[in-house]
Amino acid sequence: MMPFDSANALPVTLAFRLGVIALTLALSGRSRAARRVAFVGSAMASVVTGLMAADVLRAGAGVDGVLLLHQASGLALVYAVDGLSAWFLIVLSVLAVPIAVYNLGYVAHPHLSGRSVFLGVTFNVLVGAVETVFAAGDVITFLCAWELMTLATAALVVTEHEERASRRAAYLYLVMSHLGTGCLIAGFLALASASEALTFSTLLSHAPTDGSMRNVLFALFFVGFGVKAGIVPLHVWLPEAHPAAPTSISAFMSGVLIKTGIYGLVRVCAFGLGVPLLSWGVLVVVVGGLSALLGVLYALMQHDLKRLLAYHSIENIGIILLGLGAGMIGLTYGRSDVATLGVSASLYHVLNHAVFKGLLFLGAGGVVMATGTRQIERLGGLLHRMPWTGLCFLIGALAISGLPPLNGFASEWLTFQAFLFGFRGSTEPLVHLLFPIGGALLALTTALAAACFVKAFGISFLALPRSRAAAEAHESPAVMLAPQVCLAALCLGLGVFPGFVLGTLNPVVASLPGFPPPADIAGGSMAMVSGLESFDRVVPAMFGVALMGGAVVALLLTARRGATARRVPTWGCGGELTARTEYTATAFTKPLMLIFAALYRPSRQVEALTEVSPYFTREVRYRSEIEPTFERHVYEPLVRAVLRVAGGMKVLQAGSLHAYLGYVIAMVVTLVLFVWWTS
Amino acid sequence: MIPDAFLTIGASLLQAGGMLAAAPLLRTAIKKMKARLQNRQGPPLLQGYYDLAKLIRKEPVRSETASWVYVAGPRVYFAAAVAATTLVPVLVAVAPLEAAGGILLLVGTLAFGRFALATAALDTGSPFGGMGASRDMTIAALAEPALMLGLFAQALAAGTMNLGVLVRALVQQGPSWHPSDLLAFAGLFIIVIAETGRIPVDNPATHLELTMIHEAMVLEYAGPDLALVEWASAVKELLYLTLLVNLFMPVGIATSVETEALFVALMAWTGKVFLLAIAVTVVESTNAKLRLFRVPELVSVSLGLAFLALAIRFL
Repeated sequence: MMPFDSANALPVTLAFRLGVIALTLALSGRSRAARRVAFVGSAMASVVTGLMAADVLRAGAGVDGVLLLHQASGLALVYAVDGLSAWFLIVLSVLAVPIAVYNLGYVAHPHLSGRSVFLGVTFNVLVGAVETVFAAGDVITFLCAWELMTLATAALVVTEHEERASRRAAYLYLVMSHLGTGCLIAGFLALASASEALTFSTLLSHAPTDGSMRNVLFALFFVGFGVKAGIVPLHVWLPEAHPAAPTSISAFMSGVLIKTGIYGLVRVCAFGLGVPLLSWGVLVVVVGGLSALLGVLYALMQHDLKRLLAYHSIENIGIILLGLGAGMIGLTYGRSDVATLGVSASLYHVLNHAVFKGLLFLGAGGVVMATGTRQIERLGGLLHRMPWTGLCFLIGALAISGLPPLNGFASEWLTFQAFLFGFRGSTEPLVHLLFPIGGALLALTTALAAACFVKAFGISFLALPRSRAAAEAHESPAVMLAPQVCLAALCLGLGVFPGFVLGTLNPVVASLPGFPPPADIAGGSMAMVSGLESFDRVVPAMFGVALMGGAVVALLLTARRGATARRVPTWGCGGELTARTEYTATAFTKPLMLIFAALYRPSRQVEALTEVSPYFTREVRYRSEIEPTFERHVYEPLVRAVLRVAGGMKVLQAGSLHAYLGYVIAMVVTLVLFVWWTS
Repeated sequence: MIPDAFLTIGASLLQAGGMLAAAPLLRTAIKKMKARLQNRQGPPLLQGYYDLAKLIRKEPVRSETASWVYVAGPRVYFAAAVAATTLVPVLVAVAPLEAAGGILLLVGTLAFGRFALATAALDTGSPFGGMGASRDMTIAALAEPALMLGLFAQALAAGTMNLGVLVRALVQQGPSWHPSDLLAFAGLFIIVIAETGRIPVDNPATHLELTMIHEAMVLEYAGPDLALVEWASAVKELLYLTLLVNLFMPVGIATSVETEALFVALMAWTGKVFLLAIAVTVVESTNAKLRLFRVPELVSVSLGLAFLALAIRFL
């Protein structure tokens, strides 16, 4: 075996992926072999990439080189892995390996196995493209990989192309993504006009330092990367595209793909364009708060398991932006301690979200496979039939609800610290109030997420099955369970050893422009410290021990009679207790729907169907829905306006050759006149 | 190092034990005072202990549809309440486990217990469990930002989020009588009422379907399981009152571990918690229970008060 050399690892793994793709295509007649080659190969490549990234962080020195050189034109695709790239590559690998393994079992399902070759090839293309996005050293490489990533994702979203909903979702995704890519290209062109080279470092060092051009650039990049990240109000594609894709792909999209937007925001928007202006940081915090709150509120109303998880991605992107915005404001004020807290919180949450959301999506995939439905109103009682999936899903639910000692708590704790510690010493009145409001918003978001996951877990996995499919469900195969168990263990590990994660993050934060060597916010591998110890510190492991102590007391107290419980039917108020008398997900979230009625604008229809006499009702139809505010009030008018303009343009494009020749002549004359006029 | 660790463990055990021992008394005392206000005799002061002893000795009865989550729920709820007691200074201006975390960890701990109990409530398939869980999580979600803001107002004034450090700072600076203290106290008092399931938010004495919140959530529990839930709820209530007492009037709290100081601290703490218990009783006896959909208004009053407290102190 060759010694591991991180310098060339990236081109080698990408070439390896190409080989895997070729071999998969060659095996197109034999889906079982194709699956094995594609997904085992993908997992191996991801492991190598992850090791390379870890090596970069450990050594503290980046690696760079050339991926592809075209001799004649001198065009080169180059990569450069620095701290930030390495961190996102680690996040990618942490999730891509379990997903690849999971796919071995998931794609084998009769529903998908006919598409093994397609899924295997496209998955490899997608992972390779995302790796290149994170590692790209110059704009050309970045944009090529970015586009490849978008197209591969769109192809995966229409895996079930017979479904009209899938095709629509992919179309919406492509339109929104290209809107974003257009903004990115405009931004990079504007930057490139002032720079002699296209590598990121040269390009960003020539960014304008003052004037309105800076604001324009920020806006272009914010929209461009924001579309991919799924920030409100650019999120509309996300809840459509995530559920349409096969669930393992949804996990990848939610865990990694939308993080490419965050990567771009951190690299270019937040710190690439010089010291951030105060207004930028405030904008990021406001957009983050809005995304977090609206994401979780819309998630609460979803009873489709995958859509619910998709809306939670918007929420978590919001939490990531809250930390990032606090960090930006900290840097504006020259408070590098606050900036370090905020950016660490943000990057930590990027990893945590990838782990717990990946876990939840993989669990949901098993449930959908076993029952054939995504509607949690048709599930129930699954914990008896799918004990391992249920346990892993519960751990993921606890983590995403920000409960100690799991990993969601650790990064949300840091985000709170960025707000609260940042509050001390800031001077602008606006900022002064923004910080505690941000904290309160985060608290509300976390508590609502907990409510949502009590619903998602409780209704799907507990009590009586609500449909035959749920009653006859069976546990996923081991190859699908093992990745979930690993991710669940990671949820706990990342929560109990926050200091270790922060230690790994130190070189990443230090590599960002404008950051001094970071203050130590990791008090040993198990603790986090904010503001010189006296402000706050947390040791989740110690708390875990206290919790276990409490549990031991509880067990001792009930030991005498706890072992042998008498089992009796649940009291059904005198009637028989069936699945129809159980509490539903709709009912569970109804109080919140009425409390936030101003946002949801719920409507309902009750219709009683009678047969002979109006006094004997045969059936009652109940329909309740909430208004999709953004789709209806922002995007529909926009689409109508675009269509109207396009309709008007039809006059020009009448199809007459003579008219087109006339346009050409008119254009040439105008240009000649213009040149003559200017010279 | 080792004696330190033993000291921490010993102090934690003592404090958790003490809180567990005192908690049932508080609940009965409130019941008794409430009865007196209604010209009734009320239960004997030790009734809380009798009830727990009886429940623990009973045979556990569980629903046949329930899974292990149903069994784990009360145990985790109890464990979280016990763990939470070690994060708050009670008699001494030091929390035994203050090195483990501060306000955010405390709030997280209580949220963990609530999550466990609400999830378990859905496990029997009874509509009551779902109804209670839904309402409890809704009110908790609305109360959490107000609780956080109220605590932040006090914490940011002292410049620390750690409850032990915070109480020591408050003792050192003496009574401040800043108007923001009053506002934050009022805001937090409302939240304590909401979180402990008291009138006007919830009625701990009712078993009427339409008005139950917490009681509906735990309706299916019996025997030792129910004992754990009841006990943990009592501990939580005592913990919230202690938090209010020590954050806003830390008079008399011991700053050293001497018998005399501890005795004074015990007397002061008992007295102050008793005063707050009277306040809770009076509020409960003179108000009608609010409709569920009026509760958000009450909570937003609390949110507004906490926000004002922050604004007048820092603007």
